Amino acid sequence: MWLNRLLLDVPVDFERRCRNRIRVGMGVTLLGVLSLAAMVLQNRQIMVLYLEPGAGEFIPAFYGSLGIGLMAGGLANVMRNRRYLSDPKLRREREVAENDERNRLLGLRCWAYAGYTMFLALYVGILACGFVSVTAAKVLMVVGGVYALLLLLFRILLSRAM
Amino acid sequence: MKNRIQELRKDQKIRQEDLAEAVGVTRQTIISLENGKYNASLQLAHRIARYFDLKIEDIFLFEEEES
Repeated sequence: MWLNRLLLDVPVDFERRCRNRIRVGMGVTLLGVLSLAAMVLQNRQIMVLYLEPGAGEFIPAFYGSLGIGLMAGGLANVMRNRRYLSDPKLRREREVAENDERNRLLGLRCWAYAGYTMFLALYVGILACGFVSVTAAKVLMVVGGVYALLLLLFRILLSRAM
Repeated sequence: MKNRIQELRKDQKIRQEDLAEAVGVTRQTIISLENGKYNASLQLAHRIARYFDLKIEDIFLFEEEES
């Protein structure tokens, strides 16, 4: 069942995982190129929507830094995984590190604690924003609602899969 | 849960790296197991027991919690 593969501890062929990551890295690099293209197009006054004051200065910096970050991250991902595929010793070390049960538990717990903290921060943010900005409060409430729905969705999916 | 990994490993003069490689985990996991900071899963406990050619209960000492 696809849910078991997606959500549970099913051993995955490390070589296949590396190849998938290379594909994802290439996709992320392409997104970076598109982001840089958006910056250039905006600079040439094409397809500009000035939603808020100051957007003219914000958009080029935003898309420029986003594009550079995505390209750097994507290329680093591609190069790293290609090294794993070409160097058997390094691949074995990485495979053990990624499949190590303590590392996996640490990763899951980090996500869980970060999630709890984030949810708490959202509550505090919503309470505080009521006195500061109605728009910000509404946005935070939507984010909190989506977060709670995702939590419920994964609870249902995981309880079906386990 | 206590375990005898360190004792068995030292008796047999096995390095942490070698044990880690043999059972497919990192050296840090072996260190955490030996220090009692981490409890092994059933699969890992089984692999460690097979490595030392012992039963799981000979290595991992289950203790009833006092109420």
